[in-house]
Amino acid sequence: MASIRISGLHHRYEPDAAPVLEGVDLELGDGEAHAILGGSGAGKTTLLHLLAGLLHPSAGTIEFDGREVTGASPAERHVAQVFQFPVLYPALDVAGNLGFPLVNRGWSAAAVRRRVGEVAELLSIAALLTRKPKRLSLFEKQLTAIGRALVRPDVALVLLDEPLTAVEPAAKWRLRQALKAVQDELGLTMIYVTHDQTEALTFAERITLLHHGKVLQTGSPEALYQQPAHEAVARFIGSPGMNLVDGEVSAGSIRCNGQVLGTTAAADGRCLLGFRPEWAAVGDRGVPVTVRTTRALGTLSGVAAGLVTAELDGKVIHVQQRLDGLVGNQARLLVDPSRILLYRDGWLVNDATG
Amino acid sequence: MLYIRALDLGGPHAFSHHFAEGAITVVLGRNNAGKTRLARAVAGLDPSRPGTVFINGADVSTLSARRRRVGLVYQAFVNYPNWSVFDNIASPMKAAGRGRDRDADEMARTVEALADRLQIGDLLDRLPEALSGGQQQRVAIARALAQQGDVLVMDEPLVNLDYKLREELSLQLREIVQSDGLTVLYLTSDPKDAFTLGDEVLLLQDRTKLQSGTPLAVYNAPVSAAAADLMSDPGVNRLGEQILVRPEHLRLAPSADGDAVFEAEVNSVETSGAETFLHCRVGGADWVARLPGMADVQAGARARLYVAEDDLIRFD
Amino acid sequence: MQRANNRAWLAVAPVVLVVAFTAIAPLMTVVNYSVQDIFDVHTRLFVGLDWYRETLRDPRFLEALARQLGFSALVLALEIPLGIWIARCMPLQGRMTVAFLIVLAVPLLIPWNVVGVIWQIFARPDIGLLGAAVTALGVSYNYTSSALDAWITLALMDMWHWTSLVALLCFAGLAAIPPAYYQAAELDGASRWQVFRHVELPHLKSVLTIAVLLRLMDSLMIYTEPFVLTGGGPGASTTFLSQYLTSMAVGQFDLGPAAAFSVLYFLLILLLCWLFYTSVMKRGDEAA
Repeated sequence: MASIRISGLHHRYEPDAAPVLEGVDLELGDGEAHAILGGSGAGKTTLLHLLAGLLHPSAGTIEFDGREVTGASPAERHVAQVFQFPVLYPALDVAGNLGFPLVNRGWSAAAVRRRVGEVAELLSIAALLTRKPKRLSLFEKQLTAIGRALVRPDVALVLLDEPLTAVEPAAKWRLRQALKAVQDELGLTMIYVTHDQTEALTFAERITLLHHGKVLQTGSPEALYQQPAHEAVARFIGSPGMNLVDGEVSAGSIRCNGQVLGTTAAADGRCLLGFRPEWAAVGDRGVPVTVRTTRALGTLSGVAAGLVTAELDGKVIHVQQRLDGLVGNQARLLVDPSRILLYRDGWLVNDATG
Repeated sequence: MLYIRALDLGGPHAFSHHFAEGAITVVLGRNNAGKTRLARAVAGLDPSRPGTVFINGADVSTLSARRRRVGLVYQAFVNYPNWSVFDNIASPMKAAGRGRDRDADEMARTVEALADRLQIGDLLDRLPEALSGGQQQRVAIARALAQQGDVLVMDEPLVNLDYKLREELSLQLREIVQSDGLTVLYLTSDPKDAFTLGDEVLLLQDRTKLQSGTPLAVYNAPVSAAAADLMSDPGVNRLGEQILVRPEHLRLAPSADGDAVFEAEVNSVETSGAETFLHCRVGGADWVARLPGMADVQAGARARLYVAEDDLIRFD
Repeated sequence: MQRANNRAWLAVAPVVLVVAFTAIAPLMTVVNYSVQDIFDVHTRLFVGLDWYRETLRDPRFLEALARQLGFSALVLALEIPLGIWIARCMPLQGRMTVAFLIVLAVPLLIPWNVVGVIWQIFARPDIGLLGAAVTALGVSYNYTSSALDAWITLALMDMWHWTSLVALLCFAGLAAIPPAYYQAAELDGASRWQVFRHVELPHLKSVLTIAVLLRLMDSLMIYTEPFVLTGGGPGASTTFLSQYLTSMAVGQFDLGPAAAFSVLYFLLILLLCWLFYTSVMKRGDEAA
């Protein structure tokens, strides 16, 4: 296990091509579960390859435990990786797959068997040890691939590249639980790359949001959810993402469509007002909105609750709430005044600690 | 109108169903539940599968896929790679013999209207390879709609998209495919789609129909534990054989006097910002509680979980 | 259900008819000849399995059979590993790949008798580039007089002609392996040999099965090239089954024995291919 420090990492694939990563700085504590979140083209896969040593950066340094490894080969770094789809050696059984990295490093047969047994026990796949990959379910295959990634006791860093993509929703929960259990048990330093914000937020202690090759924010799931530092983070985190509507600040009050929504210490001027779908309510008070649709997502004590989609000043907003009492399509929107976030030039300008 | 009678999906019972006319039916099932077999049978891609398919009262079982006019959208983004977006969308109309002479203007108008509806109106001259995954799938959906048939089948169309693109398109999809009289089958393994997209939901398990009805009706009154489980993410919690508790109905504080109470041992806590998931042991079973917002509970702690009496699902 | 099944049969009917006329009917004619002694168009005698017995006891048939099996085994043993090796050395993409593919495709485009002629000249010890070069090195070499030299020349010619096919098939197989497998192997500290053994070879299995089958069938039927190059000599040292058969059927008009020979020859090829295919499939199932 190792602590990781990345400083000023730049990468471009061809000397005259557009940069894929532009000055990425990142620090991970020993044994930290960290997620890197971003859409396609954010540079996630490039960052993973740079960490694994499969690529070398155009500029910047990577340190493991204070030792620079920027130019080191994958074998010298002791990095393991789990891929999007289960990558297994087809001719080897589960035990052979789990033991493969150990055999390559000259372990004795008895030591390999002991370690493979331990890891299989940890992941509850001991009963599958003599099976060939062909006879495993997708779930069991990915579990085996995870096992192979953490079989080496000296592994410095485990990289997970969207490891749950291939499995169906019901199995995702079990696989993520298994992953977290071994992370806790072994204290591994893990970097989990994904475009799925729920996966990132539920897996990691800290998250880095990567956007067009730049880090927009690094922080706890709570920080990214409650206080997104940038508009793009606000939109990306949350399902659906944060509502952002036009507004302005004048003389300490936050205004939208002429109505005062709250107060702030931020300077006067136009800005975007951000609020999460569950920080607002559509009812008979507040700013006028036009309700487009309501969709129930379940019931609580017999009352349907779900998502209201409405239009405010030409912008679509989503509000999560109880659906009783909504009649017609003309309604009003009320936002929790202590939670309104203000964005100017993309960045958060107020510190609404609600 | 789409009616399927005694279709052999390979399960213990043949499949029969009246699909709600002009509505979106979300067909929900896990891998190998028979979703894709159903889609292929409706589209006419499996002519040898026993069973009868009626569209608008006419038996189309003997018609080839070409003549059924059923639109089909796949998981993969299937477009003609050497045709522009415009030609791709126009292709079903051209195949039907339109697009010549006087019809050309009308066809162009239809293509442009569809492209606008899918927000790809300014991409009409591009080739599919120059588009993002989300845009490619929009082209495929527009092409399926251009078929102007009575039935549209979508087989997990969003599963290969990035999460944010998936969310965006799924929130728009209802408005996009809702048009006069079009019956839509939307195949998925994600219970959330049933609520966000479906007028009706049809549960499939082991190639057999489990239950159908409006999403809320199926949610509130599942016919079996398996049906409740299919409509839940994460899966439902079981209290013996007869009682089920949905993860989102559990609370850390009582809301009324009559609440049922469970002693739980918290194994792990996951938070997604909007929600907190407690994974715990309750009476020898693994449970999940899905709580709104941040919950102040640590792994290893004991917690009391409350649920309103009328939220319990009971089977007799 | 009934209706659906009947339609399926109708769909298959054209194929059945074509196969019946092109394959089964001529084959049955041959089988018919193989059990009769034919003197002229109107005079024929039923002889049962006599021709088969005679063929199987014919020492020249048995020698040709042994040579045939030896030759097939030799070229397979050379061409398959060499083809894999060439495919592995090829760059997976870029301009060089195209150049490689074109060079590899050239031998496959040359008519078989032309291949024979090319090598006949190429290997001549007096004026051929190869033959003269080897002779100049002081090695005694003449494929028209030495049986060993004839075999070496034939094997080289077959490799030159057909290794490309194996290499192209393997290249297609290698190109289809997702890069993640190589990355995983690199992170797992696998050696080059282990990457080949555990990543490439398993993914090449189905492609190699096809390559071996094609080369097995084809080498068992080899006729044109040795006919042009050595004419079956020196002596009978490069006379394979097909050449012996031709000399029987065309040269001597022994239609009955030739027909029995043909049936045996056909069954042999069928048997060997079937044995190979089922053993590969069976091992695949056990591994599963």
